[in-house]
Amino acid sequence: MQLPRLAAALALAVTTGAAAGALDAPEALPEGEGREETFYACTACHGFGLVAQQGMTRALWDETLTLMVERNNMQPLEEKERVLVLDYLTQAFPPRRRGRPSPFLK
Amino acid sequence: MSKSKRERGLFELYQDDPERADALVFGRRTKIGRRGFVKGAGLATMGAVVGGAIPFSANMPAGLIPQALAQQAPAAGKAPAKPKTLEMQGKAGLIVLEERPLNCETPAHLLDDDVTPTANMYIRNNGIPPEPTADPDKWQITIDGEVNTPLKLTLGELKKRFANVTLKLQLECGGNGRSFFVPEARGNQWGHGAAGQPEWTGVRLRDVLNAAGLKPNAVYTAHYGADQHLSGDPKRTPLSRGVRLVKAMEQHSLIVFAMNGKPLHIMHGFPVRLVVPGWSGSASQKWLTRIWIRDKEHDGPGMTGTSYRLTNVPMVPGAKHDPKNMQILEAMPMRSLITNVADGTELPAGTRDLALRGHAWAGEKKIAAMHVSIDYGQTWTSAEVAPPVNKYAWQNWRVNLRLPSHGYFELWSRATDNAGHMQPHVAPNWNPSGYGGNPFHRVAVLVKA
Repeated sequence: MQLPRLAAALALAVTTGAAAGALDAPEALPEGEGREETFYACTACHGFGLVAQQGMTRALWDETLTLMVERNNMQPLEEKERVLVLDYLTQAFPPRRRGRPSPFLK
Repeated sequence: MSKSKRERGLFELYQDDPERADALVFGRRTKIGRRGFVKGAGLATMGAVVGGAIPFSANMPAGLIPQALAQQAPAAGKAPAKPKTLEMQGKAGLIVLEERPLNCETPAHLLDDDVTPTANMYIRNNGIPPEPTADPDKWQITIDGEVNTPLKLTLGELKKRFANVTLKLQLECGGNGRSFFVPEARGNQWGHGAAGQPEWTGVRLRDVLNAAGLKPNAVYTAHYGADQHLSGDPKRTPLSRGVRLVKAMEQHSLIVFAMNGKPLHIMHGFPVRLVVPGWSGSASQKWLTRIWIRDKEHDGPGMTGTSYRLTNVPMVPGAKHDPKNMQILEAMPMRSLITNVADGTELPAGTRDLALRGHAWAGEKKIAAMHVSIDYGQTWTSAEVAPPVNKYAWQNWRVNLRLPSHGYFELWSRATDNAGHMQPHVAPNWNPSGYGGNPFHRVAVLVKA
């Protein structure tokens, strides 16, 4: 059926681009294991607002961490800590904007 | 329950499952009447939340969050987002997305002028800007690589040696509109406001490249600036992008030293920058120190991976990209802005006539038509569109609208380019770093009863 599909495609959450709080300490972030490690790993170079604006799947956060090391000179994390940070990012900053559910994403 | 608390809760509900949220909160059964509300309580409730009646509720797509609520949306994690306005000498009204590096966008209603005041121009940084130089005319620029005579020019020499030109050129961040992608794409979550059109003064890039003499194998430029890498490592370059030589040689590509008749603001590249109009803003290097002419596509930071690249095969939104499908973003897509009515404006009781205006642009193309809708796209009114003052200037449009009643309206603007393509309803062609997000501009207004 074409029409319901179209309707679903239109059913999108819209947000503004505005986002910046005082995310200047681990306590300002959502609770969770790995919060401190994540805060300090990211803010060595940039503000945490850049992270908190985003919401991604584990695979995309994983790719982001690799990108930060390869392209942006991030100090590589030890494997255990990397998993901890990745777990935290995945849990605290998942994709939040929803449109129609994708039949192709698990 | 306080008003703000209620709106936030509502937004979260919509994020989780928009159709269920419709049913739960407003009694709007999207499976029964695809678009419509179940008449009665649901509609009244939604009206109460947005603060007025919704005349075109029957046309409001299911699960669509009214723009008035979207404004309240927390864009960041579970941490409440509070838009913060930049406080900086020479800048005004900008919304801070991130402070380190500093990235700020302009609310669309501050882009109403034909020429964007320097104070209102958006700020995009990849690294840490240099300290303002005390002696701008001694600033050095190197032109080297595939040229017959490498040049080392001071800015003072550059200004004297080459013809000075002044042009109104629209400039836009490559990631403008990223916040409209679903799910989120990587990077700063820009709305529509990472764009503006100052009047730039400089010299033509091609005059300078011709003075150096291009070798036959010259095909690409590589731009370098004096900003520092965020990690503090002096050997690292925060951003170095380039363009195909044909674009660099186009007569509107400039090496610029003045903005709106004054030396550049430090956040816009003082004392000298590139302006390569119509293409992603990142090609317009700030604090310019070097242009390296290359015999192949440039591969500096910002040229590879998913940076400033689109997928040339449509991909599943949110999935893993295929590196071989990633293609460099060059010309920007079209976009339109409503600039004389701010999002969230309350109009006095009795307001029925509404004169709207704004700008639209289309990268390497032209805007051929502009349409505005007050009923969620059910009907469109054609607007008058002026030609650009020169190539790569934005085009002004205006239209007189008639509102049928008081209540809540969304004004939607839609551009059509000279190839017949229209702005889409949603951000199209999802890609990992979120380029090309150019849906309609939506402005919510409330006409008092």
